[in-house]
Amino acid sequence: MSAAEAVYYVVAVVAILSALGVVLAGNIVHAAIFFILALGGIAGFYLMLSVEFLALVQLIVYGGAVTILILFALMLTRARERPQALFGKTRPLGVVASLALLAAFIGASVGTDWFEQTPRGDIEPVPFQELGDVIFTVWIVPFILIGILLSIALDGAVLLAVPDEED
Amino acid sequence: MPPLENVLIVNAIIFAIGVMGVLTRRNAVLILMSLELMLNAVSLNMVAFAVYGRVGFGNFTGIIFALFIIVIAAAEVALALGIVVRTFRNRATANVDEINLLKW
Repeated sequence: MSAAEAVYYVVAVVAILSALGVVLAGNIVHAAIFFILALGGIAGFYLMLSVEFLALVQLIVYGGAVTILILFALMLTRARERPQALFGKTRPLGVVASLALLAAFIGASVGTDWFEQTPRGDIEPVPFQELGDVIFTVWIVPFILIGILLSIALDGAVLLAVPDEED
Repeated sequence: MPPLENVLIVNAIIFAIGVMGVLTRRNAVLILMSLELMLNAVSLNMVAFAVYGRVGFGNFTGIIFALFIIVIAAAEVALALGIVVRTFRNRATANVDEINLLKW
């Protein structure tokens, strides 16, 4: 096992444990803190897969924007002031269903021959410049559409959250 | 680098944890957090396939898909949290099993 591989498994353990913390924590704010840690672990995965650009985007978008939004939503819905049951009545069924899904996924991953997808030699880092070239030439139409979608969604979020006149 | 199977299994574990959160939690914000975990696991899978299959020919499709998934997830979380805040103002709860206006 190489050093890079060992680092990958350490990051994997951190990410999985903090993801479990998100799902199992008994305190909502603790769950949010575990969520930040899990997102950091996923940014680490991107780094290990040598896609530095996505790691940076992950840290900025998730570590900054999404986390702040979620903490504000927790604050606005006063999640801490009224302690109540955090889990629904169907919890055992949910656990069983997710474990069955996991078993299916692991069975499919182990049972497939990945020879075609096995790199011969080292993985080179994804170059920023080529990635930018591809985004702004081949993928330019989806890129513009997704920009329009993002502005519409954010405008809609503001419209939804602003109180009505009569309130 | 770890073999592709192990990367896929780690991503599958994170996805299954997200599914468990969506199916077991009551609070809408916690469900959204679990949903984000699922989206992250899927985009990690795409990046893994893009990177492992990439050696020798430049193919950025999986990476660009992951980028688009991040944008969609950001839009989705902003909109969904707006709805949660709005629902809290109207119904004074953020629990999905108490938001039952459509239940007969």
